[in-house]
Amino acid sequence: MRFLIPATFLALAAVFVLDARRGVALPIPPAAGVSKADLFLGSPRVALTDPPTIQNGSFRQTCSECHALFPSPEVPRDPLLQHTHIALDHGLNDRCYNCHARENRDVLVLHAGETIGFERVPELCAQCHGTVFRDWQDGIHGRTTGSWVTGSASLRRLKCTECHDPHSPAYPRIALLPGPNTLRMGPQESEPHHGVPENPLEKWKAPHGAASGQPSEKH
Amino acid sequence: MDANLPTPAPSRRSFLRSAVTVASGMSAAVAALSPLKELESSDIPSLDEFLQKHYLELGPGEMQAALERIRNEVKKRWDVDAVVRDVRPKEGVEFVYALNLSRCIGCRRCVHACVAENNQSRSPEIQYIRVLEMPRGTIDIERGNHHYDRPTVPDALHYYMPVQCHQCANPPCTKVCPVEATWTESDGITVIDYDWCIGCRYCEAACPYWARRFNFVEPEIPAEDLNPDMSYLSNRPRAKGVMEKCTFCLHRTREGKMPACLEACPVGARKFGNILDPESEVAKILREKRVFVLKEDVGTLPRFFYYFDERYPRPADEEAAALAGEDGK
Repeated sequence: MRFLIPATFLALAAVFVLDARRGVALPIPPAAGVSKADLFLGSPRVALTDPPTIQNGSFRQTCSECHALFPSPEVPRDPLLQHTHIALDHGLNDRCYNCHARENRDVLVLHAGETIGFERVPELCAQCHGTVFRDWQDGIHGRTTGSWVTGSASLRRLKCTECHDPHSPAYPRIALLPGPNTLRMGPQESEPHHGVPENPLEKWKAPHGAASGQPSEKH
Repeated sequence: MDANLPTPAPSRRSFLRSAVTVASGMSAAVAALSPLKELESSDIPSLDEFLQKHYLELGPGEMQAALERIRNEVKKRWDVDAVVRDVRPKEGVEFVYALNLSRCIGCRRCVHACVAENNQSRSPEIQYIRVLEMPRGTIDIERGNHHYDRPTVPDALHYYMPVQCHQCANPPCTKVCPVEATWTESDGITVIDYDWCIGCRYCEAACPYWARRFNFVEPEIPAEDLNPDMSYLSNRPRAKGVMEKCTFCLHRTREGKMPACLEACPVGARKFGNILDPESEVAKILREKRVFVLKEDVGTLPRFFYYFDERYPRPADEEAAALAGEDGK
C-alpha cells in the first residue's frame, strides 16, 4: 500500500516532463501575406483633365481638335462609329449631349445650357443626383483622405469622376482580401466548408493539406 | 503521548521507504518546474522594463528612457530602426468614427491595412477589425459571417458590417481592469499600457463588441512588414501575454492624419474626425444622416456610429430586387 506514494510522485514526474516536452502547438497555420499593392488601391480611376486630352499616335490633342473638323450629328449614331470602347450604362441618361456640349467637346453642358469645364463635374452630376451631391458637399459621400482637420492642406476630397466612370457609374465589384484566420474567430457551430471546419479551434482536425490556412480557392 | 519515551531507531526498511518517497517527490517537483528551462530571454522582462512605472506616472525623462528601451528592443529583435514616440491627445479634440453601411463592399482592405499599420501578430493572426457579411434585411449580427469568400464583392444579397473598437464613452473594459492598465484618454481613445497589462483578459470578457485581442504566444511579424513608425500607446510591438486593441491609429490621428483603415477604404465608407468641430464630416453625419450604434441597449455610449443612405433599387441591385420580389417584401 505504501509504495503507492512514491509511485504517484514518479508518475506525476513523468507526466510533467512529457507534457513540457510536447509544448503548445498552434492549431492554425500562419497568415497569408497581403501585398501593399493589394491594400491601397488609390483612386479607382483617373479622371479626365480639364480640358480633356487624348493621345493620338504621338500627338496629344484636345477633344475639340477632332470634333471641330468632324461635327457630330444631331443624334449620335447607334452603335457609335467612334469611341467604341465606351460602354454606356448610366440608367436613363443615355444621350451624349445630356452632359457633353455639342458645339465644344472640351466642356460639359448643364441642363440650362451653361457650359462648364470638366473640373466642375460635380455640378453636372448634381442636377440629377441632388441628395448625393448634398452629402458629397458635407463630406458624407465620397472619399476624404490625408487629414481629418477641417481646412488642412493635406486633406484631399475626391470628385465624382475620380471614383465613378461617368459612362457606367455603378462602383465596380472588386476582389476581396483573405478572411480571418485568427485563433477564436468564426462561427462555432457551422458546417465544414470543403472538408475544413469553419471553427478555427477545429481546423487542425481537417485532413492534412486541406487546412491551407487561407480561404484560398475562389469559387 | 509521553515525550520521555525514547524514539525508536529507524529500521532499514522505514529509512529506505522514506528515502524513496522523498526522492520521487523531489523529482516530481523538479519535473513540474522543468518548463522553466524553456524560458527564452524574451520571456523575462529586463530590469528596466520590470521597474518601469505606469504610463500616467512616467516623468519626461523616464518616458524618454522607456522609448529608448523599446527602440533598442526593436533593433535587437528585428534589426529595424524604429521611430518610437509618445503622442499625447490634443486639446479640444474628441474623435468619432462613422461608417456608411450602404457603401461598404466588404473587401477587407481596412482589416489588412490595420494589421500592416499596427504591427499585429501575423502568426497567429490578430486582427482588430472584423467584417461581417450579413443577409439583407436584418441587423441580427448572430447571422453575420466572417468567412465569406467570393470572386468579387459586394454580393447583391448581402451587406457588410465592419466591427472594431467602438472607443466607448462608458467603456466596460476599463472598469474591470484590476491594475488600471487600460483607460480612456481625453480625446476619447481607450488605450492600454502594454507594459502594465498582466494579461488577465477581464477586459476582453467585458467588451460587448469583442474588440480586444490577446497575445496567446509571442507575436510573429516579419521584419520587412514591421511598421517602424511607432508610438508607446498604439502600434509598438506587443509581448506575449498582453491585451491589445484598436487605438484609432492614435500615432497618426493625433497628428492630423486619417486612420489606416480609412485610408485603405476604396469606397469612402469610413469617416473619421473631431466631433467637437461642428464643421467636421462626422459632426455633419451625426446631424444629417440616420445613425445608430451597435448594442445601444448595453449603455456603452460608443464613439463609433453606423449610418446609411436612403437608396432606391439601382440597376446594380437587380439581383437584390429580384430576391425582394420573391420574398414579397
